[in-house]
Amino acid sequence: MTRNMSPDAEVLIDAREVSKRYPNGTQALTNVSLQVRRGEVVCIVGPSGSGKSTLLRTINAMETISSGEVVMDGISVHAPKTDLNEVRTHAGMVFQQFNLFPHKTALENVMLAPVQVLKVPAEEARARAEKLLAKVGLADKAGNRPSQLSGGQQQRVAIARALAMQPRVMLFDEPTSALDPEKVGEVLEVMRQLALDGMTMVVVTHEMAFARAVANRVVFMEGGELVYQDAPEAFFGNAQHERLRSFLGQVLPH
Amino acid sequence: MRPANPWWRLVTVALVLLIGAGLYWATIKVNYQWRWDRVPDYLLMTGGEEVLAPMDGTVAVQGKQITLTPLLGGEPQRFPQIDVVQVSDGEIVFANNTLGKKAGITPGPLLVGLWVTLKISALSLVFALVLGLIAGLGRVSANPAARDMAAIYVELIRGTPLLVQMFIVYFFLGTVLDLSGFVAGVAALSVFTGAYVAEIVRSGIEGVSKGQMEAARSLGMSHWQAMRHVVLPQALKRSLPALAGQSINLVKDSSLVSIMALTDLTKAGREIVASTFSPFEVWFTVALMYLLLTGALSIYVRKLEKKMAHD
Repeated sequence: MTRNMSPDAEVLIDAREVSKRYPNGTQALTNVSLQVRRGEVVCIVGPSGSGKSTLLRTINAMETISSGEVVMDGISVHAPKTDLNEVRTHAGMVFQQFNLFPHKTALENVMLAPVQVLKVPAEEARARAEKLLAKVGLADKAGNRPSQLSGGQQQRVAIARALAMQPRVMLFDEPTSALDPEKVGEVLEVMRQLALDGMTMVVVTHEMAFARAVANRVVFMEGGELVYQDAPEAFFGNAQHERLRSFLGQVLPH
Repeated sequence: MRPANPWWRLVTVALVLLIGAGLYWATIKVNYQWRWDRVPDYLLMTGGEEVLAPMDGTVAVQGKQITLTPLLGGEPQRFPQIDVVQVSDGEIVFANNTLGKKAGITPGPLLVGLWVTLKISALSLVFALVLGLIAGLGRVSANPAARDMAAIYVELIRGTPLLVQMFIVYFFLGTVLDLSGFVAGVAALSVFTGAYVAEIVRSGIEGVSKGQMEAARSLGMSHWQAMRHVVLPQALKRSLPALAGQSINLVKDSSLVSIMALTDLTKAGREIVASTFSPFEVWFTVALMYLLLTGALSIYVRKLEKKMAHD
């Protein structure tokens, strides 16, 4: 079902030679360059500790960088004068642990940021939130607190919450890793639908089947470096690349 | 776990009775005269409120109305509704002499003291919560100056005794800024309790998972918006039991304002003891009255906690 990307679609995210070193000397990212075009779905895979989440989080400046540059929609994200709050309204983020606000209902979770940040009138925000909850299949759970929802439902609310800001790109940080196996499918289905709608997505994931089926491009990271990237068929069919083959050998069913 | 044997409750009762009997025996040994019958008068005065002469003067009595003409000149003062007149027409009285009594039940010194204690505690609690919230936010602030100021405040207050702080506020600040005992008392208690509230608020905020702040910031909310709408509501709910304990402490700590020429419950007790020589009854009564205040507070908080657990 992979959509055909026109190769001349405009570049939405441009990470250039990004490096990140922690004060204790640990090198998290080394000269990583990654371009994401509008409408593209990019999956980032790799062993844990490879820097894939860190890279994702530099895109909306949830992580600082030591050198290099990340440009989103023409704005240099890490430049000192950039209004980070404004930048982040354009990049929706979905976390491994959902991070829903436990003291608010599903509907209130989705409404909060549009009302507080974008100053959308409450009634309009409510209508939009209801529509988004319906889109992720949770219209009947609008009044529930997160504690009354399953993990899969919580993650779908979290996706709706991010979408409520009408972002230009959605960043997924291992969205299904904390879920019970039987709940993974419902979240991936929502993400697949989102991709079909044309949303630009960067997805850090261990779900190789999802990457193969939905991504336009798959990126392999290891040891803080971007090792290899290619279209899914080429990526999963590549037997030449030593490190990629070794990684895929470990994660793919034999 | 096996249910405990209910007979242990009887052991508790027996031990309490034993301690009580021991205390009673001890008071007999020192020849103490128990006068519990006087205690109700300290709570409610049925004899009526005494009316005192504010200055030296000559008295004129017309029925229930007394007119006092000052000896040193000035406007005569009228005292209507004196039910039991204790001076005669034309008599010369001196300042603080009794003119008469008004009929009816009036609050006794202990109840008046309780009211003062209640007022001071309630006002101090409000200010302490505001102060503690600000200082607690300062403790977790990204701004080093705010962080340092909050830390200095908390360490300074927690590192010195409340009594010494009271002396400083009353004798130093009170003199320099011309504060009344009441204002000085509320100020000292608020500042003291605020430091503890700040630490409670800080640990409440630190107890909220970091992912909450991250999620809020990733949606474009500012640090303050995220704090106000996401982190603080969770932190305060989490801090409620500790805050309840601190407000109970506040009520008890308020007894120290009795050094400030303020007749709170403790000072009222001391004044009665000084004039009646029945310290045991008075102090037991005063203790019981504090216990009623703090007990009511903890029942209320337990209810609040239950209600919030359902939300």
